[in-house]
Amino acid sequence: MKSIVRGLALLLIIAFAVPVFANGGSDAAVEETGEIVLSFPTFWVGQDSKSGPLASLLEAFNNQHAGEIKVLLEPNPDTDGYRDKLNTQLSSGRAPDIFVFNPDPTSFQYYDSDILFDFTDELQGSWRDNFVESYILDSTKDGKTKSVPYEIGITPIWYNSDLFAKVGVNTFPATIEEFWAAADKLKAAGIVPGSQMTGGSNAWTSMLWFSHIMGSLGGPDVWDKPLTDPVYVKGAEVLKKLFSDGNTTRDAVGGDAGVSGGHYMAGDTATFINGPWYIGRIRGDAPEVHAATRLAAAPKIGEYSGHQIGFMLSNLAAGNTDDPRKRDAIITFMKYMTEPDNVKMVSESAGSLFAVKYELGADADPLQREFVRAASEASFVIGHFQSQVDVSVIQEFGQALAAMALGEATPEEFVQMLIDAQ
Amino acid sequence: MYVKSSKNAFWIVLFLIPLLILFFFYFVYPLGFIFITSTLKWNGVSKPEFVGLQHFISNFQNKTFLLSVKNNFIWLFANGFVQIGLAALVALILARRPRGWKFLRTVYFLPNVISQVAIAMMWAALYNAEYGAINQLLTAIGLDNLTHNWLGEYATALPAIIVQQVFYIGYFMIIILASVMTIPDSLYEAAEIDGANVWQQEWHITIPMIKDILVTAMTLAMAYGLRHFEATFLLTNGGPANRTSVLGILLYKKLSALKYGQASSISTTLVILGLIMIVVIRSTIGRKSSASDLTQ
Amino acid sequence: MSIVRTNGRGTTQVLGNTAKWVVLIFFFTFTFIPLLWLLISSFKTNLELQLKPFAMPEIWQFANYANAMKISGLPRLFLNSIIVSTVSTGLTMIVTSMAGFVFSRERFPFRQGLLNLILAGVLVPIIALMAPYFRLTNSLGIYDSLWALIFTYTAINIPISTFLLYGFMRTLPRELEEAAIMDGTGFVGRYWRIILPLTKPGMVTAGTFVFLFSWNEFIYAMLLTSRPAVRTLQLGIRFFTSQFFTDYTSMFAAIVLTMLPTIVIYIVLHEQIIKGMTSGALKG
Repeated sequence: MKSIVRGLALLLIIAFAVPVFANGGSDAAVEETGEIVLSFPTFWVGQDSKSGPLASLLEAFNNQHAGEIKVLLEPNPDTDGYRDKLNTQLSSGRAPDIFVFNPDPTSFQYYDSDILFDFTDELQGSWRDNFVESYILDSTKDGKTKSVPYEIGITPIWYNSDLFAKVGVNTFPATIEEFWAAADKLKAAGIVPGSQMTGGSNAWTSMLWFSHIMGSLGGPDVWDKPLTDPVYVKGAEVLKKLFSDGNTTRDAVGGDAGVSGGHYMAGDTATFINGPWYIGRIRGDAPEVHAATRLAAAPKIGEYSGHQIGFMLSNLAAGNTDDPRKRDAIITFMKYMTEPDNVKMVSESAGSLFAVKYELGADADPLQREFVRAASEASFVIGHFQSQVDVSVIQEFGQALAAMALGEATPEEFVQMLIDAQ
Repeated sequence: MYVKSSKNAFWIVLFLIPLLILFFFYFVYPLGFIFITSTLKWNGVSKPEFVGLQHFISNFQNKTFLLSVKNNFIWLFANGFVQIGLAALVALILARRPRGWKFLRTVYFLPNVISQVAIAMMWAALYNAEYGAINQLLTAIGLDNLTHNWLGEYATALPAIIVQQVFYIGYFMIIILASVMTIPDSLYEAAEIDGANVWQQEWHITIPMIKDILVTAMTLAMAYGLRHFEATFLLTNGGPANRTSVLGILLYKKLSALKYGQASSISTTLVILGLIMIVVIRSTIGRKSSASDLTQ
Repeated sequence: MSIVRTNGRGTTQVLGNTAKWVVLIFFFTFTFIPLLWLLISSFKTNLELQLKPFAMPEIWQFANYANAMKISGLPRLFLNSIIVSTVSTGLTMIVTSMAGFVFSRERFPFRQGLLNLILAGVLVPIIALMAPYFRLTNSLGIYDSLWALIFTYTAINIPISTFLLYGFMRTLPRELEEAAIMDGTGFVGRYWRIILPLTKPGMVTAGTFVFLFSWNEFIYAMLLTSRPAVRTLQLGIRFFTSQFFTDYTSMFAAIVLTMLPTIVIYIVLHEQIIKGMTSGALKG
């Protein structure tokens, strides 16, 4: 017995000690010759609509470059978990070879270090022509383009034309007065005018409404105004009204994206906001609502109208490296990912839109075409509120919105809460 | 009686070494990392800047932070007294082996086996204002005026999450039950012969015998109250208007916002609050119980 | 022996019995309904789940289970989860029972200080340790291996497991060992032959906790691995969540499928508690 236990104790000590000393040197070794392996952690896997097309793109790429470059997908299906991991990796100085991030003022702080691959020079050449120029500019900070714009989002107002027709409204209200009048008619018919939410990490649907409202009040340069500008209070007043008087569902305060989308798909609510990625979901779960859905610009509230909300959703980035072969491999892959034909394939198959110039084919979803049309017909396009402020402000947005919706905070106090969160 | 011999010293060290090595790497080093970063302004990628205790000072001037501390203490009491009280009650009942007790013991534990995500989804659905079962039930019996948007109103949100959590007693019930079951039956036989009724038996025999484990369970439950995160994160993410926020939620938000210094200052605060809690437990309910030796 | 702990007599019995069953049935409902709900919901469509969360499915969606079975590499994920959970539970039990034994039965310098330090580990918010654990795992050279998870889970559970085992061990009467020492039993013998068998209920309780923690852990499973070959079930289940919506009903089907083994393990382990107790020397 004693010897067994002693042996066990010894084994344990070895087991614990060995990895401690066998430390280091195990970084993904880049061989001098032979195949370059690039790790690509992403959340475009599993049930994400881009998982299928992305997998086939990668397969084709790996075949094409067999023996030279191999891109290895690392599936990270949970977006929050993915972001936590990415932040941890970057803060530990271990950027993945290729990765995706959500571009906002918080994540653009990654640019502060030289941990990201700098694409500035590469993007001076003909590669640049693939992209819609404004997205390149938006991805450039202090003259450096350290990520490649990829997926974008356009989020017009969605409305259920059947429900509006039921109360005799046949075109989407052009002004806010008409909108409130239509809302009253809808309510009289037992229909809730709009889906809203304060939950989730960013109060998504309502944050987008707020962005539309702000665009109408402040125009193309609205986000240049600091949060202390009175225009934010004006916007908050309109947002508050969208939450009052039965203009939204009772569970909007605290509700998450499932709640706001669920009510719209059930035909409970007449308006909603989301991006093209939601098309597949609504087509599958609520075909009638899908057929009745039309897209519009926000009603005119201030001086401006006809604008849309568009923003970069995911940028492609790479870990910095001095190895020339690896640098070449990264650039080859990035160029491949942003080739118009490849982007078109992903776009049509996944319903998403991209920062690259391409034409949708004839059999794309009609609603997806509506998105493209909405964007091209827009009088101007601004980013959403989330893309303009620190994550801390967005985290507080839903909280402050709940306070305002419950009548516990005035629009002024709502804005003050956002300022305090900065 | 302690066995003393220098020969034992070798064994004592050998028996402790695996634990000490792991503990050093996985707790001492990370906590050091956290304490140090709590004095820095650092976004993870750029050069850190030393700010001293500034994060702590601004934390204690921040309304949401103070609200979170308060909520943590509510959780601490709810877990430590209500949850453990209920767990002890059920353990005492099951220890008397009523019909089906083995089955019940298993069922009571099962929620610990399923993922919290699924349980939270069900509760979000129960509490929902529009199609939630609770409001539908209230409406059905004519109590419309009692319906609420349970997770979205100031007055109901925190109680709603607490109710959802404290009744999941499974784990603590099992710990307490295991302890109750080790009490020799002969003690109860003797009491029975002396004419003690069930309540007297429990009060005079069981409770004193399991006092140690109760204090242990209570300490753990309270520590979990301070560390509370998951149910709130899944149900309200701290809303409405931060009314259900706890330090764990705040910590996670700071991490997501790349405010590593502030996040570490919150972690440090949590650890300090926990140490204070242990001292208080030691000098109150843990006193005289041999478990107090845990924390001397 | 079960005749001994009865329920009193006369009116007390009637009252006590009613109250007792009210409590038991209440907790039964509270704990059983989520399981039933999860099972029924796993046969619904997502829209039904959202809008009629407590109704029966209109059409039973067996496709959800087909989806769950399609999680890529499911058997591998399953095997990994079993390896990680079992090995880390085993390691935690070995490490903490040895330490618990020393802490509860021996006296040595810094004993109390060390014990307090380790127990204070219960207070550490684990989520705050992402950056240090990631760095540590990389410098130990075990990133992207099952060892990364095994060591992390073992270590994370040290405080609570030490806490529980120490608590159990210190309640064991010292007379048991005195007799053994007279018979010439050494240090290791006291641990292995006397204290350990008597701590079985405590070990099962702590072990269950460690196992379930390791089985359900998600954040570190994702942080510390990258190859599909070394990932665990929780990551597989998350395949139904994506950036903009989650296929909850298929996820529920996956949860139901992967929950079954844990329930079986739990029931088997708990039979062990009973055996441990009836064979224990403590029975009066």
